[in-house]
Amino acid sequence: MMVLRRKAGEAIRIGDDIKIVIQEVQNGRIVRFGIEAPADVAVHRLEIYELIQAENRAASSEDALAWLKGDSDVTGAEQDE
Amino acid sequence: MSQVQSKMSSETEQRTEEFSFPQGIAGFPDATRFGFIYEGRGNMVCMQSIDTPEAAFILTPWEEDRLGEAPTLSQEQRQCLNLAEESALIWMVVLNPFADAEWVTANLKAPLAINMSERLGVQCIRHEPDLDLRFHWMHQPDRV
Repeated sequence: MMVLRRKAGEAIRIGDDIKIVIQEVQNGRIVRFGIEAPADVAVHRLEIYELIQAENRAASSEDALAWLKGDSDVTGAEQDE
Repeated sequence: MSQVQSKMSSETEQRTEEFSFPQGIAGFPDATRFGFIYEGRGNMVCMQSIDTPEAAFILTPWEEDRLGEAPTLSQEQRQCLNLAEESALIWMVVLNPFADAEWVTANLKAPLAINMSERLGVQCIRHEPDLDLRFHWMHQPDRV
């Protein structure tokens, strides 16, 4: 993992299109930053994104259409509960 | 995926269009092109990826009577949807029929916003902590 030191007001750029600006460091613990990215780039908090990622995988299945057609014996790719 | 029928937004006409989700779907970043298949089962449709067979979801329209008002789109999401007219916007929730033996659940943390005019969609991940990831939407059909 690349590690950079930046102060409030400074920025980093990822590729040509993504810019992250450090706006504020609160109490030396919480960092506020702004993100500029193209519309087709999704930006989310990691823990929420991973939660949705897991739920999407659990809800998705090649058998989804079979289930919709009324075959209730089909099971999803990931049954995690 | 040439013959797609949709009942979204009370429409029943045959649809052959491809819908694009430019940001992909969380967990399926390569799945950006989908078709909708209606099988005559209530308001539910199957959203099937054209390129990724395992990316297939059961969707149903957002019901304001049960869930309250639909979420508000951010400026970035509106831009991604290229949304010019509100009337073109519909909201769908992703159902999970596989996680619970008794219930089909609905993911209220990440509904889909779809611009029917432009055939563009985005999964809107919501950060409010009180939203259900597995809202009890309906009983499993064989238990009704």
